[in-house]
Amino acid sequence: MTQTPAAWVLLLPFLAVYALFLVYPFFRGIWISLHDWNLLAVAFNPDAKSFVGFENYVRVMWGRNIEWGPLSRPLVQGAGYLGVIAAAGLHLTGRVTRVTAIGLAVLGFLAIGLGGFAPGEGGRWYDRRFWPTVGNTVLFVSLTVPGVTLSAMILAAALNRETRAMSVLRTLFFLSQVLSVTVVTLVWQIMFSPRQGLIANITQTLGGTPITWLTDERFAMAAIVIATIWWSLGIAMILFLAGLQDISRDLYEAAALDNCTGARAFRHITLPNLKRTITLVVILQIILHFQVFGQSHLMTQGGPNDTTQVLVRYIYQTGFRDSELGRASAMAVFLFVIMGSFSVIQFIIGREKK
Amino acid sequence: MMASRGYTLLVIALSIPAFLWLVPTLWMLSLSFQPNDVLARTTSSTAFGLVPLPFTAQNYADLFAFGQTPWWFLNSIIVAAGMTLGVLTVSTTAGYALARLEFPCKRTITVLCLIGLMVPEQAVFIPLYTMFADLGWHNSYHALILPRMAVPIGVFLMMQFFRAIPRDIEEAARLDGVGWLRIFWYVMLPLARPAMMTLAILTFLYAWNDYLWPLVSAQQREYFTITLGLASIQSNFAQSEGLGRVMASGVIASLPVVILFLIFQRYVVQAMTVGGSKG
Repeated sequence: MTQTPAAWVLLLPFLAVYALFLVYPFFRGIWISLHDWNLLAVAFNPDAKSFVGFENYVRVMWGRNIEWGPLSRPLVQGAGYLGVIAAAGLHLTGRVTRVTAIGLAVLGFLAIGLGGFAPGEGGRWYDRRFWPTVGNTVLFVSLTVPGVTLSAMILAAALNRETRAMSVLRTLFFLSQVLSVTVVTLVWQIMFSPRQGLIANITQTLGGTPITWLTDERFAMAAIVIATIWWSLGIAMILFLAGLQDISRDLYEAAALDNCTGARAFRHITLPNLKRTITLVVILQIILHFQVFGQSHLMTQGGPNDTTQVLVRYIYQTGFRDSELGRASAMAVFLFVIMGSFSVIQFIIGREKK
Repeated sequence: MMASRGYTLLVIALSIPAFLWLVPTLWMLSLSFQPNDVLARTTSSTAFGLVPLPFTAQNYADLFAFGQTPWWFLNSIIVAAGMTLGVLTVSTTAGYALARLEFPCKRTITVLCLIGLMVPEQAVFIPLYTMFADLGWHNSYHALILPRMAVPIGVFLMMQFFRAIPRDIEEAARLDGVGWLRIFWYVMLPLARPAMMTLAILTFLYAWNDYLWPLVSAQQREYFTITLGLASIQSNFAQSEGLGRVMASGVIASLPVVILFLIFQRYVVQAMTVGGSKG
């Protein structure tokens, strides 16, 4: 039976808003990325923009005399080779699902392929900041995601009991998750202050010298990683708690009869049964943290010396400080391609049979 | 099952990291109750590192007497409430239609709607900015509210919920000759209350905590939300406002979401896990 009139009445409000404020802007963004579009010039004269095809992508992502080599960037490509080998090994030994192995292998090949480009003799990138900024963002994600995932998994395993005390403890660990990034950066900025910070106070009480976390190139990235892990623990913990609920208690009871308890039970029963949850949490955290902006913008302003400059902040600055909307939009499309890829992976894993 | 003494030890052992996890927020609270002139010299004038000595509530009084925090707070209430109502309206109606009604192109429309889940806010804020600039809509409540209504996480959530309702209930109503719109209003909506509560909380938390889009769209101080206001005073906190008052602003900005969380904990947890990468 068809209920077309009722369906359209109910659908139109959302479809209108969706088309106007998500679909159209998405394609408009692609359109802007194909233009030389100065925000201020176009504001005064709407015709002051010119079609330049993919020039913005070239200006942002390419350079003069760029060459590819299998070991041009040893750290990045080395990590890629390790990723591919690890994916093959994990798959052959049956420790991960095929989808996870393929995902890891794809990441490895991407690191090898993209990481191999570097300026050759007399060459240079057209935009010296873009790829280092992507690198910073990847570094941030590489540090934050394992930190959140490991902490959350251990906490979830420890807190997975239906008692009043455990419920209160779960509440305390989740609390930071509901705060705004502006509150998180406010608190941690002061926490890290070498003159007034709580960490400095404790350090001095113990007789040490305070670290200038936010203004020292060696520590600034670590500072925003710490603040982010503190902030982001709650969701990951809840997802792991849900995953733990799905593990049959019979497995633990059977294992207990074989003296397999505590840490051994965690390794042999909990971990294998949490594989899908671990993968989902990791993908979710990658999506979340690749979009990092507020921590960098408010705590370190991308500094010192751009060591904590991240992709979204660079897009924001290019578009709204430098008025280069074309280049900013090209970078935003790049961001979408990455985020879209991880969203697809997340969707596929989410649909896998348990 | 762990012996009760082992369990007690575990609770005590976990209480230590739980307290450490709370220390940053407790410290913010502590600083907000210390006089600015003391804080200008040291933040160590406390008992046990966290208990404010000397104690004062003047920072909060000053916020309401001199600061713009109340205005930012009101703006955030308006935007968060408007966004929540808007998202609930368009998501519940669309979710029901996609889940329960039959019509041409249904599958195609469903897929097209959910594809939007892949688009991060950061990928569209530049074209959105130019759109609203062309319309002259920046520095307004509707500019802050409308873009979020387009994010399909709400439709996805409501669609999943309506799909899970047994069809018997609808069939019974239909046999009584009730039209589909009346079934939606009188039968399905009341049943959807828990899911709507989850979506409402998710949207409110997102709206209250949102930073990037307000940063781009609300450039006049009278339209600053609490996040923008907090960000603006962060950059020069020592000079203009005093540390105590800045921290009091942080506490005020946190109170609604913390209270919301403590009251509706089950819904908050459910909302944030559903909207994890969109929050």
